[in-house]
Amino acid sequence: MNTCQNKCVLKVSGVTKEYNHKNIIQNINIHLNQGEFVSILGPSGCGKSTLFNVIAGLLLPEDGQVFVDEKEVTGETGKVSYMYQKDLLLPWRNVIDNAILPLEIRGIPKNEAREKVNAMLPVFQLEDDGKKYPAQLSGGMKQRVSLLRTTMFSQEIMLLDEPFGGLDAITRMKMQAYLLEILEKIKGSVLFITHDIDEAIFLSDRIYIINGSPAQIVKEMMVPIKHASPEEMMTADALRQLRSDILKCL
Amino acid sequence: MRKYQNTSDKLIPIVFLLTILILWEAAVNLGAVERYILPSPTDIITALIANGSDLMMHTGTTFFEGMTGLLVAVCLSLIMAIVMDLFPVVKKAIYPVLVMSQTVPIIVIAPLLAMWFGFGIAPKIFVVVLVCFFPITVSLIEGLQSVDGELINLVRSMGAKKRQIFTKIKFPSALPYFFSGLKIAATYSIMGAVIGEWLGGKAGLGVYMLRARHAFALDLVFASILVIVVLSIGLFYGIAGIQRVMMPWEKLKEEEE
Repeated sequence: MNTCQNKCVLKVSGVTKEYNHKNIIQNINIHLNQGEFVSILGPSGCGKSTLFNVIAGLLLPEDGQVFVDEKEVTGETGKVSYMYQKDLLLPWRNVIDNAILPLEIRGIPKNEAREKVNAMLPVFQLEDDGKKYPAQLSGGMKQRVSLLRTTMFSQEIMLLDEPFGGLDAITRMKMQAYLLEILEKIKGSVLFITHDIDEAIFLSDRIYIINGSPAQIVKEMMVPIKHASPEEMMTADALRQLRSDILKCL
Repeated sequence: MRKYQNTSDKLIPIVFLLTILILWEAAVNLGAVERYILPSPTDIITALIANGSDLMMHTGTTFFEGMTGLLVAVCLSLIMAIVMDLFPVVKKAIYPVLVMSQTVPIIVIAPLLAMWFGFGIAPKIFVVVLVCFFPITVSLIEGLQSVDGELINLVRSMGAKKRQIFTKIKFPSALPYFFSGLKIAATYSIMGAVIGEWLGGKAGLGVYMLRARHAFALDLVFASILVIVVLSIGLFYGIAGIQRVMMPWEKLKEEEE
């Protein structure tokens, strides 16, 4: 299971991170293949976000390495894109100017960056909202813009940290479908944090279960039916089996 | 309904103020208080009009001192806040001293300034700077430090440098704080200039008030106070106006709510 079948874009090997002399995550081994959607499923506050911070290069692990395209990048920022539960949009910038932020930081001139973002607006169904400010957008729309900004940084590897956690159930369902639609178009690889079992099953190709204190990967599972319809989610035996297997691990 | 609520909200303080003015006027006119102790509102307005050109000249001096001091204070605050934000050691060293400095009564410092810098315009501006510097610096620092840590992590994950984090994230986030400090400082600036002038000088509302008081022209003292109040409130709304122009997105937020 641990071998990379397609091209392996991200590999986390034996990562341990402590805080106040106590391990939060221990010996984490995960990988992400090109174009794959992988979820990390676990209870809230178990250290999933710490793992993401290590992958993003914001935290230096006590032990272990992070590889991007088989090159070690442990502790290096700017290799993967990162999206939070909070939209973190800049209220003083309109949608387009929010989305150009990662390009700006990379030193691309503003006009050029704006053109690139403009070209992506229709893909994200935001073509009418480019000039709007975050205060004028609903929660779901803000997360769309946040996703757009994330993809402007990198579509290669995207870390999504409970991106729909703050949305109501109906908006969340819409956003999940929207996310899959976008990924279909831009062919990105996604590592997705969630504590919602159904969300993980619906979106993912593969699921890692993380649990315990210190948190460890307790199980890795393949999702047998990709992007199941609501009906299949309820009735398909394979998914019911998967759900009960997941529950046993948590 | 909401509109009605808004107008009545604005009317309440106006009605209250008018009631006080009418009671005041009546009390003086009915002889409850002697005019040389407390002139009536109409006496004050009459004195204001009669001495209009004199008052204008002195107001100009005070206004100039206030604005120059405010400008210097803004520049100093910007430098100070940026340095303190970039180097936490500097903040740890200076911040307590800053707070301590504010507990020294300005009325005690002012005569010393006159001793050091004479009776020209410099000590007045100095007082204004002293009064205005603190609220601007403190609110700016607070603004810089209250930026969402996740937001900073996000741009760091994009590979942003310290300078980029400051110019693109921290400083714009701190602008609302900066402006609320600036609004307070602006209202203090005129008061600071008047305190400076109070200790002596050639022109300015403080000097004028002092002369009026010595001549027992209380109506002129009150007229000067009126000018100071109007000027300070005008500055407050002027800054608020600049804020609205510079930060149009803040207004959007209110409209949405």
